[in-house]
Amino acid sequence: MLTIENVYKSFQGNMVLKDITLAIEGGSILGLAGPSGEGKSTLLRCIQGLENIDSGKIVCGGRIGFMFQDFQLFPHMSVLQNVVYAGKFQPRERRATLLRRAEELLERLGVWNLCDRYPDRLSGGQKQRVALARTLMLEPEVLLCDEPTSGLDMAATADVAELLRSICAKRTVVAIASHDMSFLTKVADRIVLLRHGTIAADIALDQFPNLPKLAVSFFEE
Amino acid sequence: MEITVKPIDAVIFVGTGLSISFRLLLGGLSVGLFLGLTLAILRHNGIGRRPIAHYVSLLRGTPVLLQLSLIYFAIPGILGVRLSVLSAGIITFGLNSSAYMSEIFRSGIEGLPRGQFEAAQTLGIPRFFIWKDIILPQVFTAILPALTGEVIALLKETALIATIGGADIMRKSQVLAAEQFTYFMPLCIAGFYYYFIVLFVESLSRRLERRLRRAHH
Ligand SMILES: Nc1ncnc2c1ncn2[C@@H]1O[C@H](COP(=O)(O)OP(=O)(O)O)[C@@H](O)[C@H]1O
Ligand SMILES: [Mg+2]
Repeated sequence: MLTIENVYKSFQGNMVLKDITLAIEGGSILGLAGPSGEGKSTLLRCIQGLENIDSGKIVCGGRIGFMFQDFQLFPHMSVLQNVVYAGKFQPRERRATLLRRAEELLERLGVWNLCDRYPDRLSGGQKQRVALARTLMLEPEVLLCDEPTSGLDMAATADVAELLRSICAKRTVVAIASHDMSFLTKVADRIVLLRHGTIAADIALDQFPNLPKLAVSFFEE
Repeated sequence: MEITVKPIDAVIFVGTGLSISFRLLLGGLSVGLFLGLTLAILRHNGIGRRPIAHYVSLLRGTPVLLQLSLIYFAIPGILGVRLSVLSAGIITFGLNSSAYMSEIFRSGIEGLPRGQFEAAQTLGIPRFFIWKDIILPQVFTAILPALTGEVIALLKETALIATIGGADIMRKSQVLAAEQFTYFMPLCIAGFYYYFIVLFVESLSRRLERRLRRAHH
């Protein structure tokens, strides 16, 4: 469960988020939609605590995992090192199973065979999976993904949708920011549309089976 | 004007200055690296930005010879302590080099994407380890060529120790020159010594660079 109440955020007087209020249930995927520059990344970064909010309240029930748009894998570490490194700083009981969990995750994401490779020898889709594995090692209760399909081709995009859905089978809260409406309609249970720093629409997808078509035409105005 | 010393003896004589030159280089390098890195990290974290900028500007903006004389002759007089030639040299070359190194480190740190810090932060890695294991290894690889240049500059600067009587390669060659009434051979020998050390430093740096780069691919 993640709740955001009356959140305001500005950069040097430029108001990016205005009075955002939003509650996200565990086990569901929220799609944050909107054209570029509307504050999707900023909202995710505020939730993660990478940005300080001007006012309002963000309450989050547990650990947060963050997937960066450009993955931000550590280039001087192999895939396996990338995934296990931060585990050194986790509680003792989780440290004991570090390698086993890493193997399990990488296996499930189909990149265990790449565990000795360095990031600059991975494709975009492979980087994405490694970054996802690295984040999931934290066993986050909230998973934030910023533009997870940027730089991916159609097939890889479909894979990402599948992956995120399977993760979300549990009680995790997943929030995905993307300007790609057709991707969001495939992956999300609910779509929140950001326009001019406010929530312009908040739609549960199962009630609007036609939304994809509507939304696409909305963006083409 | 005749040369009475055999070339091999001249080479050995000038070579006895190696020990001082090396100690100055390694001492100055240690001080320079440690202080330079510390200043760069402080500055990156917004601590003491102004004073550090002044420090760098001052040390880069005045002659090293002047700094050396100040530290060897003037400061001990004022503070009432005596510094050995070697410590005065290590302090001067170390401080001077730290100014250049802090700028090199700073450019390396600023050259890293901000996302690297953020990704490490979101993974719950403590600050110290973010620097030690995530940031600095990448910075070091990126700035190795610039750092090598600074090591070479430092080595050549150590020759200034001769001006306060340090018995380094340069000084030994001057002594020999004065005794033999000829400058050419002693200075050439000193030059070869410096140049050989530089070639060694360069090859070391190249090998290190290859190894670091290979490790990332
Ligand atoms: N660190 C920052 N400093 C100043 N302005 C920023 C900063 N980050 C984002 N912005 C501004 O905030 C607005 C929203 O950006 P962003 O959240 O990245 O949008 P989106 O992810 O929806 O494309 C943009 O106008 C952008 O210029
Ligand atoms: Mg964005």
